[in-house]
Amino acid sequence: MNTAVLADSLSPVLRLDQCRKGATVRVTTLIEQPLFGAQDERVSLRLKELGFLPGALLKVIGFGLMGSDPMAVQVNGTKFALRRAEAAKICVEPASTHP
Amino acid sequence: MSSPIRFALIGNPNCGKTSLFNRLTGARAKVANYPGVTVERRSGIVTGLTKPAELLDLPGTYSLFVTSPDEQVARDVILGKLAGERRPDLLIAVVDACNLRLGLRLVMELKTLNRPMVLALNQMDEAKRRGISIDTAALSHAIGMPIIETVAVNSQGVNELRALLDGYAQQPPLAAGEQSLTLSDRQESVEALYAEIESLIRQYVIAPAHLPRWQDRLDALVMHPLLGLVVLFSILLVIFQAVFAWASPAVDLIDAGFSGLGELVGTLLPDGILKDFIVEGLIAGVGGVLVFLPQIIILFFFILVLEDTGYLTRAAFLLDRPMRGLGLSGRSFIPLLSSFACAVPGIMATRTISDPRERFITIMVAPLMTCSARLPVYALIIAAFIPEKTVWGFFNLQGLTLFALYFAGVASAALIAWIMRRRSGREEFPLLLELPTYRWPMAYHLLMGLRERAWIFIRRVGTIILALSIVLWFLATFPGAPENATMPAIDYSFAGQLGHFMQPLFAPLGFNWQMCIALIPAMGAREVAVSALATVYAVGEESIDVALGSALAASWSLPVAYAYLAWFVYAPQCISTIAVVKRETNSAKATTFFTVYLFALAYFAAWATYQIASAIVG
Repeated sequence: MNTAVLADSLSPVLRLDQCRKGATVRVTTLIEQPLFGAQDERVSLRLKELGFLPGALLKVIGFGLMGSDPMAVQVNGTKFALRRAEAAKICVEPASTHP
Repeated sequence: MSSPIRFALIGNPNCGKTSLFNRLTGARAKVANYPGVTVERRSGIVTGLTKPAELLDLPGTYSLFVTSPDEQVARDVILGKLAGERRPDLLIAVVDACNLRLGLRLVMELKTLNRPMVLALNQMDEAKRRGISIDTAALSHAIGMPIIETVAVNSQGVNELRALLDGYAQQPPLAAGEQSLTLSDRQESVEALYAEIESLIRQYVIAPAHLPRWQDRLDALVMHPLLGLVVLFSILLVIFQAVFAWASPAVDLIDAGFSGLGELVGTLLPDGILKDFIVEGLIAGVGGVLVFLPQIIILFFFILVLEDTGYLTRAAFLLDRPMRGLGLSGRSFIPLLSSFACAVPGIMATRTISDPRERFITIMVAPLMTCSARLPVYALIIAAFIPEKTVWGFFNLQGLTLFALYFAGVASAALIAWIMRRRSGREEFPLLLELPTYRWPMAYHLLMGLRERAWIFIRRVGTIILALSIVLWFLATFPGAPENATMPAIDYSFAGQLGHFMQPLFAPLGFNWQMCIALIPAMGAREVAVSALATVYAVGEESIDVALGSALAASWSLPVAYAYLAWFVYAPQCISTIAVVKRETNSAKATTFFTVYLFALAYFAAWATYQIASAIVG
């Protein structure tokens, strides 16, 4: 049995950068992104300030050309461009459009 | 001490702060629609108050926990931490009624500073159109500060705000205004603040869940990975087409006007030194540069429209990934695009870039974007040396050469950015760019912005360029040729001596001494190279009738002309650019590096061009 596949399928965590275009999701939590190094905490804070808070509804609007990066996301009626590195900090769960 | 009371406008990027500033002060500030255009300190006196009051327009910010140099300015001013800047007595928080959560968040954060504050709820007309309704009176009561509904595009609400400000102006400034404030570490309270805002919005605001449909439809096209790029390149193509083709009737008109003026003055004045000075020094010098006003206005018109509509951030979104390969990001796109008009505003606009390395690289390569001052030089040499013929069916050879020069600048910038990035660490910085809702550009602000740009250019022509033309004419005229002169008079002049002195240094590039002379005033402004060549060749030939282009074609070889063009692609030929690099990097080392590397590149490129072209032409 392939343990890697098992680990993957067991992991319930969906991150924003894994979402499809048009998906509507709800933020569950923000996690660390080692790429940002010492300023990771500042990035988390800014994401929260812009509205990427647990419970917030997000809509994936689109992706850039190369490597589907960056991505455009709508939160609270405002659109933002995020790189995959930032989006990977945001854990989400599927949400229906009409809660 | 009775310094006037000081108000400061603070708010998110794109909330319409600067247009409110214009309405309150009658001042001319640039207004745009992409995050962070207000990077300069702007202040003015509020009109229509019974007591004088100063108004500061602070850079847009999302938070007091700052991430970029322009946000830092806003925070430091509010906290009274900016050296030489007195803390404002009253904060006017500007909130976009269509983007209430983000705006209110900043307001609630500011409120914890316990400073006198009023809230201007801006763009109320657009909010109503979108079906957003806000119980302003109840909200005002709940957050404990006056709220004025404003519409920045006309004076509705602005007079109400003015009346309120007048009330504050009557009070003496707070005595404790000098000491600075400290921010508490409220990092963990972001959630709590948002919970409070959600509760406020639930109680006092009714808003539809969706943006207008056309906004989303437009984004689906404009931000489409493939179609979006097609749209972007079409827009850029139209801009360049417009700058070069649409401007020509106006350019011809100005050109004809100055030639006519020169001839008229020529017939009115007696022959002699005064006539030479006015016709060859003043009219030719100033006219040679002023003809580029139409092109500059057209270029800035497009940049302002693209900013105001909100399109530029979409372009930044599309170009982020390709630019990241060069160590830049979508955020660098806007400063670099502005640099096609002029590197000075372009370099100032880099303050919105939060990554210090990226900002440094953007500043270093910005002057490689062909600015409008280089156009006169390119246009002159291309017209003189490149035949006007059609190649490959429909390409104009002259246009193609011009495109190649622009392309050389962009490609070199890409290469240099890439090399610089290799040499530094690879720490990631977030993009986090707001994509503002689309708006119609406002004619009033567009006109104000263009007026400001045109005025800056005309003032430059009237001061630096005029002075350089006069100095140049004197250098080229005195001392006069001796009685038994065997060479043209200019060879004996100061300019001729200087040119002969410099020429050995530039001999490997094929430059003659006339070309060397033109390089000196070009340091003040590149476009003066054209009038310098005109002066040098006109004085030398003793005949104004010989058109400058044919004079050049007669005395330069083709490889030399190419080498001169290559020099102008790279050389940091403009003191103002070097000065702004010094100001923005605040480092003598960086400025020296900037100057030396660009001159070295110019020298090498001109040398290589000359050698290669000579080998081919034979």
